[in-house]
Amino acid sequence: MTRSIAANIRGLTLAIAMTFLVTSVGVGYWTLVAGDELGSDPFNPRLVAAIRDRPRGFIKDSAGNTLAESVQTPDGYKRVYRDKTLAHVTGYASFQFGASGIEAAYAESLVGQDPGDPLSQWRARYLRERAPPGSIVLGIDPKVQKAAVDALGGRRGAIVAIDPRNGAILASVSWPQYDASLISDPATEDATWKQVNADPDKPLINRVTQGLYPPGSTFKIVTGAAALESGVDPNAKVRVDDPWQADKSWGSYFVRSSSRAHGDYTMADGYRLSENIYFAKIGLQIGGPKLAEYAQRFGIGSSTRCDITGAKGQLSRTGVLDRPTLVADTSYGQGELLVSPLQMALVAAAVGMGGVMPTPHYATEVRDAEGHAIRVIAPGPIGQVIRPETARTLTTMLVGAVEGPGAFAFAAKIAGVHVAGKTGSAENPSGAPHGWFVGFAPAESPTVAVAILLENSPRGGEDAAPLGGRVMQAALGK
Amino acid sequence: MEITFAVLLWAVRIGFLVLLYLFLLRAFGVLHRALAAERVSDNAVRALGTLIVERSAGHSPRVGERFSLRASTSIGRDAGNDVPLTDEAASARHAVLELRDGEWWIEDLGSTNGTLVNGTRIEHAERLRFGDELAIGRIALRLEKGAG
Amino acid sequence: MIAVTRRRPELGLLFWVAALGITGSVAVAAAEVAGFRPQQLVVPATFVVIAFALHVFLAARGVRGDQLLLPIAAALTALGLVLVQRLASNLLVQQLSWTLIAAGAFAATILIPKDLTALSRFKWTWALLGVLLLISPLLPVIGREVNGARIWLGVGTVTFEPWEAVKILLVIFFAAYLEEFREVLAQTQRRFGPIPVPPVPYLVPIVAMWAIAMVVMVFERDLGATLLFLGIFLAMLYLATGEVFYTLIGLLLLLVGGFVAYHVFGHVAARVDIWLHPFADDVRFDTGYQLVQGLFALANGGLFGAGLGNGMPDRIPVVWSDFVFDAFAEEVGFAGAIALLSLYLLFVYRGMLIALRAPTPFLQLLAAGLSFIVALQTLVIVGGNSRLIPLTGITLPFVAYGGSSLVTNWMLVALLIRVSDMTARVRGTP
Repeated sequence: MTRSIAANIRGLTLAIAMTFLVTSVGVGYWTLVAGDELGSDPFNPRLVAAIRDRPRGFIKDSAGNTLAESVQTPDGYKRVYRDKTLAHVTGYASFQFGASGIEAAYAESLVGQDPGDPLSQWRARYLRERAPPGSIVLGIDPKVQKAAVDALGGRRGAIVAIDPRNGAILASVSWPQYDASLISDPATEDATWKQVNADPDKPLINRVTQGLYPPGSTFKIVTGAAALESGVDPNAKVRVDDPWQADKSWGSYFVRSSSRAHGDYTMADGYRLSENIYFAKIGLQIGGPKLAEYAQRFGIGSSTRCDITGAKGQLSRTGVLDRPTLVADTSYGQGELLVSPLQMALVAAAVGMGGVMPTPHYATEVRDAEGHAIRVIAPGPIGQVIRPETARTLTTMLVGAVEGPGAFAFAAKIAGVHVAGKTGSAENPSGAPHGWFVGFAPAESPTVAVAILLENSPRGGEDAAPLGGRVMQAALGK
Repeated sequence: MEITFAVLLWAVRIGFLVLLYLFLLRAFGVLHRALAAERVSDNAVRALGTLIVERSAGHSPRVGERFSLRASTSIGRDAGNDVPLTDEAASARHAVLELRDGEWWIEDLGSTNGTLVNGTRIEHAERLRFGDELAIGRIALRLEKGAG
Repeated sequence: MIAVTRRRPELGLLFWVAALGITGSVAVAAAEVAGFRPQQLVVPATFVVIAFALHVFLAARGVRGDQLLLPIAAALTALGLVLVQRLASNLLVQQLSWTLIAAGAFAATILIPKDLTALSRFKWTWALLGVLLLISPLLPVIGREVNGARIWLGVGTVTFEPWEAVKILLVIFFAAYLEEFREVLAQTQRRFGPIPVPPVPYLVPIVAMWAIAMVVMVFERDLGATLLFLGIFLAMLYLATGEVFYTLIGLLLLLVGGFVAYHVFGHVAARVDIWLHPFADDVRFDTGYQLVQGLFALANGGLFGAGLGNGMPDRIPVVWSDFVFDAFAEEVGFAGAIALLSLYLLFVYRGMLIALRAPTPFLQLLAAGLSFIVALQTLVIVGGNSRLIPLTGITLPFVAYGGSSLVTNWMLVALLIRVSDMTARVRGTP
């Protein structure tokens, strides 16, 4: 018996009604749920629209120098950037390509609708009125910034200096640069955008927050912290014989010592001479889960909470350390690890501050048009990531890594101040090792922490260490 | 002045949304009432009527066989008709029985041998009452109230 | 001879439509930089006159039955005019002219043909005409290619989308064909496992339809038309036979066809990639720009919207024809978008009820098929606008800017009203 057409009509109508319901839910998602995320998307023209119609607020450094301002042209306003070395920090504000950096992160404040002022937001949305644009003050210290730019000297890489006490970023250089003014100018935005996107050196990427590199030996700070808190005696002697493998099951795989070492090592020796085999052995001793836990505590593998969003990095491709060779390699900073320079600077800052990791931030203050502070940006610390006594022990050993006899990082020394630090030479698939230095000074109560990264630098960490010294020296005013 | 304009503008905008919903509400009301009325007519249609075979020439249709009527019921020699008649005197599409405004009407579709209602050959569409007899060839059918 | 009918509920609803259209137009006009000018009321006023004229026409002709479809279609058309005024005011007069032509087409369809069953008698004529229209854009000289899809006919500056007319012809043909063969198709003795195998002669037209759909996809490069074509076909097949398996087989063929097309044809792959990764850096400024801008508009909507004339939907390219839904949702919010979807659902529900009570299988299939067109088009374009499915070039019925679509949709309304009128005549209801 054929079903009656009437029954089929009822069935089809029901199916249509259900599909309408599903569609309504979809529409509800985009209008109600996705609003916050898409509303603050740097490419949303609703935030960038004001670029041509009206001036945006200033972006200034901590000394009051103007870094970005709107200038009037016959076609309307356009953004001009005064310090090319800070292109990645200020970002750009293009009518067509949206905004990045501070221009994106504080877009609402810069067009006069700061989130701290709900009335101005309401007036902007419903009455199309905007308060005069506010300005953003950065923690960037021009002296430190200049020292960092000079130190990097046009090499591909990144330098970041941070005040470990409050997380304010004092200097941030990412090389190669691009010209933010050209991307923000309607006359040149198209050509410039095409050109920077086609550049194999990827100048648009802020290498400080978004660049991901293997950390090399700088990661030994994390391994050491994990070992100390797992009850490993730092003074116990560990036998090092190059090359080393735990057992025959590793086959042809060996951990190599950079100095072809044979001898008995304490943890302090391990840091001073950057001994891979020492850290591989204690890494295996405490085990993969413990090492993973401490990497996570130091923020590796999760988005860095910074006003300019940072990359997550990774502990390993799977997120766990489940093979002995991977544990061994990760312990001295290779394996599948990837971190950003900002993340390593935070590791150094946390050790320097007795285990308290600060929340990094570029902006320190939002001001209204008259120059009065609307809000001060002072996020509290991320948290206590290791115990104070662990941090103290590590600090002592990291001072040794800079100042001890035969120390690898000796070039970061500053006269009259104790410096704690660690170099790293990270092997990578793109050629010569990346050179790393992370450190902080003064070691007893630090006021600056740095991370230096030099891409494909022939002598790795040895090239990076003196740069760290110069940047910290500028920050200390010496 | 400026503020007054903004307030007025928003009054119009909110008014638009309110009107949209009021229209929707009214439309639902109209649909609801139309549905109620149509449901009553459903019951009337369900008890449309039945054709009962009074006389027949052969085994199809048999005497006493009942055909439930649809709002438009086709009668003829073709098997595709709602009431198929096996009789040489019937045309392929012979006649159609239709409900118009709740009344039954028979219309001959230009058949060769014609259609008789109570013994009289029809020329135009003719109103049928319950109990009337319909004759096509040697077959006679009676219209009765109610579903078969 | 013709008894004049009183269509009170319809008249009452049309007053609300008039209020809605005029309020919307005033809101948009007042928000413009130039401020409000009284002459801008000419457009909504003209539309109101057209809507009431259609009502009077139906009443004078003594048309019975449904009184809901005309007001809903009028409300949607009014919203369309408000949105064209908001998004592309230079096209407003053109859209108003099309509305006038659509009203004429509506009236003509009420009058011609005198007997609706004529539609079923000439089914092969409609099928042939439909296929000819469908492939006509492929012809040289008159065929036009717009945005990579070759689905337009053009003579001089006047362009027409034949597909719009084809969808109605298609429904008429399917309704007539399936009324004749539905028993055979459904009561098949042979089954291959649970799958019914209809006799070969009846299978041929079905396979032919699928093949034509694929041809459309390959040569006219229009994903939307293909989807609509197959959707109508499968829905009608299900309506006639109740065989879910036909539908499943059809969907399977669609998936297979889609999979092959994804790998063979760049335009299909591009659409799918945009849908999957609209925010990827190489997509959002390029092929995905339109969708991303549309999603930004939706996201700015919130619950009650930014207010008519107060959003920024004009940043979406070709917003007036492809993304009216997102523009509407930005300015009247989730609340307004839901009201709009409810209007469509109400229209479709009403159409399906007309189908349910229609006196013959042909009229049942016709009314259900026509209602389904409106449902499918709405769902496909709203789904595309809100990234639930890949975006296609289908227009939002009655609302989106476009002449051919408006005219054929109003003809569709007239056909539904005629089916309802016939039902009322049979049943003796008003």
